[in-house]
Amino acid sequence: MITSRIRRRRKSSERVGSESLMLPGHRMPRIRRRRKPVAGATTQGLISSSDWNRPSVKWGVGAVHALLLVGLVVIGLGPLLWLAKATITPTQDIISNPMAIFPHGATWNNVREAWSPQSVHVGLYIWNTVVICFGSWLVQLTVATTGGYALSVLRPKYARVVTGMLLMTLFLPAVVLLVPLYIMVVNPPLIHHSFINSYWAVWLPAGASSFNVIIMKRFFDNLPRELFEAARIDGAGPVRLFFSVVLPMSKPILGVVSVFAVIAEWKNFLWPFLVLQDASKQPISVRLPAIAGQTELGVLLAAMFIACIVPIVGFLFFQRSFLRGSGLGGAIKG
Amino acid sequence: MAAIEFQGVSKVFSDGTRAVDLLDLKVDEAEFMVLVGPSGCGKTTALRMVAGLEEISEGTILIGGDVVNDISPKERDIAMVFQNYALYPHMSVADNLGFGLKLRKVRRSERRQRVRRAAETLGLEPYLDRKPRALSGGQRQRVAMGRAIVREPSAFLMDEPLSNLDAKLRVQVRAEIHSLQRASGVTTIYVTHDQTEAMTMGDRIAVLRDGALQQVDTPERVYQRPANQFVAGFIGSPAMNIVNARLTRANRSLVASFGDHSLEVDNELVAERPALLAYEGKDVVLGIRPEDLEDAAFIAEVRPGRTLEGVCSLREALGSEELLHFPVAAEANEGVPIGPLEGKYAMLLARVDPQSKMREGDRLRLVADTKRLHFFDPATGRAIYGDQRQVPGRES
Repeated sequence: MITSRIRRRRKSSERVGSESLMLPGHRMPRIRRRRKPVAGATTQGLISSSDWNRPSVKWGVGAVHALLLVGLVVIGLGPLLWLAKATITPTQDIISNPMAIFPHGATWNNVREAWSPQSVHVGLYIWNTVVICFGSWLVQLTVATTGGYALSVLRPKYARVVTGMLLMTLFLPAVVLLVPLYIMVVNPPLIHHSFINSYWAVWLPAGASSFNVIIMKRFFDNLPRELFEAARIDGAGPVRLFFSVVLPMSKPILGVVSVFAVIAEWKNFLWPFLVLQDASKQPISVRLPAIAGQTELGVLLAAMFIACIVPIVGFLFFQRSFLRGSGLGGAIKG
Repeated sequence: MAAIEFQGVSKVFSDGTRAVDLLDLKVDEAEFMVLVGPSGCGKTTALRMVAGLEEISEGTILIGGDVVNDISPKERDIAMVFQNYALYPHMSVADNLGFGLKLRKVRRSERRQRVRRAAETLGLEPYLDRKPRALSGGQRQRVAMGRAIVREPSAFLMDEPLSNLDAKLRVQVRAEIHSLQRASGVTTIYVTHDQTEAMTMGDRIAVLRDGALQQVDTPERVYQRPANQFVAGFIGSPAMNIVNARLTRANRSLVASFGDHSLEVDNELVAERPALLAYEGKDVVLGIRPEDLEDAAFIAEVRPGRTLEGVCSLREALGSEELLHFPVAAEANEGVPIGPLEGKYAMLLARVDPQSKMREGDRLRLVADTKRLHFFDPATGRAIYGDQRQVPGRES
């Protein structure tokens, strides 16, 4: 996103530059421009800026772009829009004529039914999901940041071995770990008290993500060492260094890991399904398939729509802080 | 304020390189000591050992008389200015300045006051609320300086703090740092590879090469009486001309000849450096600073035995001076830029009056100041003085 912005800016300034170079009434021969592009000209992918000026290229590529965009919208947004439509369409209409738009008018009944505590009670399960997501997010961030910090900044002698072992676990498919993990949750070492039917059963295993630790470590590796040294001379110990220097500088990567963590947990089905057998504790992702058989289609679709819309709204809300670089310029060099 | 002392300090990295080799150096209280040398000479490593960022492999370092080998950086009461500033990007200028005080549990009111005072000294008051990214290079450099002075430490350690500034700003900040240090009287170790910075700022300068100390002295003495060929070639810009020569006696004076040139060594110089007499009939390494060669047209009375002739191959006019390059048929010694005529010719450089009419291809007649020739032993590279005041230093 940032690079595209820069590219856009550079492109516009270049355009101004090349125009101001030309005297009024004096058009540079096109052929020459193509052979000798403006210094520092950026190319848009395979097509150079001078090629963009040819009508055939401009219209041809423009049409392809438009088609691609429409295609992506249909594929990406289509199902969601259909779901939104179905949410406020009576079940009869959804079944008899799925693609028709409100043949017998719209209704909020489905939504009301889905929300009602007597019926589906979507609110409770969404709340469960939020609790699960928040806990897993917290555990994941704690493990990832402290782990990455230890391996990248504190760097004990055995850090390389640990990093290698972490990398190795990336090659293990998650499904393989299901049974051992389940056994461990049923009878955790040291604690010897089953986590089944408690949110800890979802939260704690979420932290064991070597992927998160490794991307954190990679990010910390790229932070300038001099800053840590400056902080040490200023009198910061390892804990102070972590909270006052490393974490505030890591906002971009914290955002990325958070998005991954929350999305993964929001749609996680298998693990919560295995460890949360108590229906009142289940997240929406587990609950909806469970009630699919005995619920009216319109109500189910309404519940699904609510389940979809929450993370989308959340993402739009937090998007800026996630995706915006937190502006680390000025740390080093001039 | 504290003296800093290196006692036989060495640094051996895990791959076996000796970055610093048995360094003995005492930086007096309130002194501005410059460590200078080419890149990779161990000057930064030496500084980092004082800061506590690098472990000391051998020897001891004392700050204010206390051995600090096993003391953590924060307890050494030193402040460091880094080459690339190392400002905390997420903190405002005021927070950057105050961070060290905050960690040292200085009360908020006092902290604010000291930050303000430091900002005043450095002209940073208008920028206290800004983030480092909103500052120019020179301002960032000043914040880095401010972070050091606000702590009022017993020593400043500076690691090439000017190397990221442009030439003009560098001269300005150089003067600022210099006067700041004078005013505060804080012991300072300043690392640089730039001999101009070393010459202008240091009370004394320590020249290092391959981890070994070559010479420690005031800038004037290092320039006028370099301990060895390396120091002679390193200090001074443009660098000293160095050629292999032979000392012989003609009439009553010593003559240094190289190729088909010969220069009569002034008797005053011989009196000053009696050891030269022992080199009669032997090979020596002759050094002539470019500024000690002048266009004969500007010398009123040209005495014989003092001129060098050659053909100008390149002229660099700098306005205030003019540099003339000319090859002479002589064996070049190391440290001399060798042109296309490598081997048989040494390229010499003369810094002459800017009014000189000499151009490329002209026949040059240059007069050497034979009172200011430098001689080195070809085997050891040591300067030949022969008085008892031989400057301490290691052989190169």
